[in-house]
Amino acid sequence: MAGLRQKLSDRGPFAALLVAGCAVLSLLVLAPLYTLLSKSVENRAGEFVGLENFARYLSSGGIESAFLNSLWVAGLSTVIVVGLAFMAAWALTRTRLPLTGWVRGVLVLPILAPSLLPAISLVYLFGNQGVLKGWLFGAEIYGPIGIVMGSCFWTFPHALMILLTAMDNADGRHYEAASALKASAWRTFWTVTVPGARYGLVSAAFVVFTLVITDFGVPKVIGGQFDVLATDIYKQVIGQQRFEMGAVVSVLLLLPAMLAFFADRYVQRKQSASFTARSVPYKARADRKRDVLGALVLTPTVVFILAIIAMAVYASFVTFWPYNLDLSLNNYQFGRMDGGGWGAYFNSLQLALGTMVLGTVLVFFNAWLMERTPQPKILTGVFQFLSLLPLAVPGLVLGLSYIFFFNHPDNLLNGIYGTLLILILCTVSHFYAVSHLTAVTALKQLDKEFEAVGESLKASRWRVLFTVTLPLCLPAILDVALYLFVNAMTTVSAVVFLYGPNSQLASVAVLSMDEAGDIAPAAAMAILITVTCAGAKLIQGALRFWVDRSTRAWRQGTE
Amino acid sequence: MTQQTQGSRLEIHGVHKNFGDFSALRDINLTIEPGELVCFLGPSGCGKTTLLRIIAGLEQQSAGQLLQGNDDISLKPPKDRDFGIVFQSYALFPNMTVTANIAYGLHSVGTPKARIRERVAELLEMIGLAEHARKYPAQLSGGQQQRVALARALAPSPGLLLLDEPLSALDAKVRHHLRSEIRSLQKQLGVTTIMVTHDQEEALAMADRVVVMNNGVIEQVGTPLEIYQQPQSAFVAEFIGAMNFIDSAPLNGQRVMVGNRAVDVVRPLPEGKGGVRLAIRPEDVHLLPSGDGDWEGRVEAMDYLGAFIRTQVRLTDVALDLVVDVDPRSARQLELAVGNRICLHLPSDALHCFAA
Ligand SMILES: Nc1ncnc2c1ncn2[C@@H]1O[C@H](COP(=O)(O)OP(=O)(O)OP(=O)(O)O)[C@@H](O)[C@H]1O
Ligand SMILES: [Mg+2]
Repeated sequence: MAGLRQKLSDRGPFAALLVAGCAVLSLLVLAPLYTLLSKSVENRAGEFVGLENFARYLSSGGIESAFLNSLWVAGLSTVIVVGLAFMAAWALTRTRLPLTGWVRGVLVLPILAPSLLPAISLVYLFGNQGVLKGWLFGAEIYGPIGIVMGSCFWTFPHALMILLTAMDNADGRHYEAASALKASAWRTFWTVTVPGARYGLVSAAFVVFTLVITDFGVPKVIGGQFDVLATDIYKQVIGQQRFEMGAVVSVLLLLPAMLAFFADRYVQRKQSASFTARSVPYKARADRKRDVLGALVLTPTVVFILAIIAMAVYASFVTFWPYNLDLSLNNYQFGRMDGGGWGAYFNSLQLALGTMVLGTVLVFFNAWLMERTPQPKILTGVFQFLSLLPLAVPGLVLGLSYIFFFNHPDNLLNGIYGTLLILILCTVSHFYAVSHLTAVTALKQLDKEFEAVGESLKASRWRVLFTVTLPLCLPAILDVALYLFVNAMTTVSAVVFLYGPNSQLASVAVLSMDEAGDIAPAAAMAILITVTCAGAKLIQGALRFWVDRSTRAWRQGTE
Repeated sequence: MTQQTQGSRLEIHGVHKNFGDFSALRDINLTIEPGELVCFLGPSGCGKTTLLRIIAGLEQQSAGQLLQGNDDISLKPPKDRDFGIVFQSYALFPNMTVTANIAYGLHSVGTPKARIRERVAELLEMIGLAEHARKYPAQLSGGQQQRVALARALAPSPGLLLLDEPLSALDAKVRHHLRSEIRSLQKQLGVTTIMVTHDQEEALAMADRVVVMNNGVIEQVGTPLEIYQQPQSAFVAEFIGAMNFIDSAPLNGQRVMVGNRAVDVVRPLPEGKGGVRLAIRPEDVHLLPSGDGDWEGRVEAMDYLGAFIRTQVRLTDVALDLVVDVDPRSARQLELAVGNRICLHLPSDALHCFAA
């Protein structure tokens, strides 16, 4: 028995650390969510009232308007974005167009911008004083049209990246077989290309749908009188201080997001089961007609994205739209507007850096514990669930949950309420799942016997971690760091409930300035955020280049 | 020259291993002498790797005891045991040079720098890769990587070397070459070695003793010759080399009935009243000119396999096909050809007897 205890003590610390990891995630995600759920069945005084709040929301007509509006706007955006992204991915992977590197770069640019940016840009393009107002034939940009257009802009890169991954892995042999069987290009497209990308298509659809339905920035700026769930939560909470109704709408928003999440997980599981073949990478053959078609498919999307960004950049420099079109830096003097000025920008930088450092460390350490140390099966199961849960929780819902949980007078941690720390914690949790998946994927790719070899050579798991695992995971670590930085910089939804007088944020400042009618400074701040993210991307790109170069010898086996 | 390592003795007593309801190992008992090379041989899924991992401490046995020397290691974690291991994938650290890989285990135990340099140079010399010292694993061929993995495992001079299918990722030619290289290295160092394989040729060629496993139990332990010549179960007989099986019923004493003909056997019959499965190797069957032997048959097929001809003969009296290996010279003398009649002689001392 003494021996058994000795053995346990060897593995115990790792299990204990993962239990701690579970506890942290429970504190940061599960507990706040639970508080939110319980709030939705309580009245203002905190007494249990069952589904009364839901009934009240139903009778106020909230379901018909906001809920259905959200569904169809998200559905329509999904169809458009997935369609366009699929065409773009096809053109990028199945033709031999020149400059595809640059085109890829432009197409993913929106990911560096806050979702508020396209909305502001659309106001300039199609709003009451918009330059292209006539193109809408009298229709209003303020409402569903604006929301759909804006959502398409910022969700496009997410869909594109999923589809590019799916289509980059195409098996060349299928195409060879099709051409050997004399299938026409059209038939090959429908019998080989589309089926090959079907899991990517489904996954992209779920992702876009969730992003649109939970987004708050676009409808807030350009939604006008058109209610959706996300703006409804904001109105209930910030406008009318009806927290319990905010909780009710949150639950309603949680439902479709959860549904999409589980459906996507289910589809992904099927995919990994069918992914076995030893494939030959596909190489596009020269085909002028196909190249022209590819260019035709890409052009509208590229033009749309560039137009939106260019409009925002231009508007941010115009002195007084539309009366004085002289260019100046007036709009960048944020000190003169609401929203916290340059201070907000520097707070955002701190938030982004803090989230990046804390998040990357936490994510990788936990993923390492889960993947590379001996753990009881149920513990890894619980941890995996907790890590992926944030993917199903919309930012607004998370933010509101944080109010309920951390602002409660009995919560020992309520001292962090209104500080930068709670913003960092909330943002780390908000973007935990995707980072976790990236880390786990990287760790799974390493030889599963590294630790066993290490132990036989009397090296502790820690030494193997620092001398082998981390160096090998460096590219993935850089990816996660950038992902966290950019999202912390651009996010609005979760943090809009949580900032305090000393922790105003740039992305929220865009919102407040827009609300106050200072649209040009809002555009300027949005551009500033975008430029900052682009800078981060460049730095990360340079670091990755450096890492790739200095490790090329051992990665590819050439000196 | 390389120092002589003191190989350790290993005793395994009553080891069981369950994965949930599934019993992967049952009552494993085995003693391995110092300096011995033992092969675990068996079909896929029979528990070879599991047993090896239990010896390493990477997997915990459900019951049973392990002794290394006089030391009870049953419950010790891997880092408190004394062994080196080479995995099928080699698991070389890709971000480290050959030198750094080999030195890894020496750093762990705080060996002085100068001594590490010396030891690494010595090992590089031994595996013949001195000029590749500064390369990374990805820059080496499979066989070279294999040798680096071996050197890394041997660097701290462990008393026990564990090899899990160390050669299976290599092509045939390299494999043959490395077989003898590993064997002579092991002899030279005197390190007790356990090698897992499902390649019988490899096991018979390299091992001092072979442990044949099936379905989580040890079927037989013995030298390659014993395993081949005196298989103790029908499984071993069939798994190692080729074997003909003939069903029979016990008659009296050392006689059994095959069809309606009595056959004498020399080896002891299995206990119990059930049927007896006779077994004979293809090279032990004698072919004779028609009319000369005890069994009549007809040649059904002939495969020329280089040094011998694998011939399929259908017996006339009993519904049975036998496989017989004949050397080309005898085949010529017998004018062996498909369709020809032939006689067979089954020497009674070559007949193995197993319970049916
Ligand atoms: N961690 C585990 N959980 C459940 N079952 C396991 C586990 N590891 C091994 N097994 C089962 O135990 C049995 C023995 O596995 P083991 O890996 O020891 O086989 P092996 O003899 O090494 O086979 P191979 O020649 O294919 O490597 C197999 O049926 C396997 O499925
Ligand atoms: Mg095995």
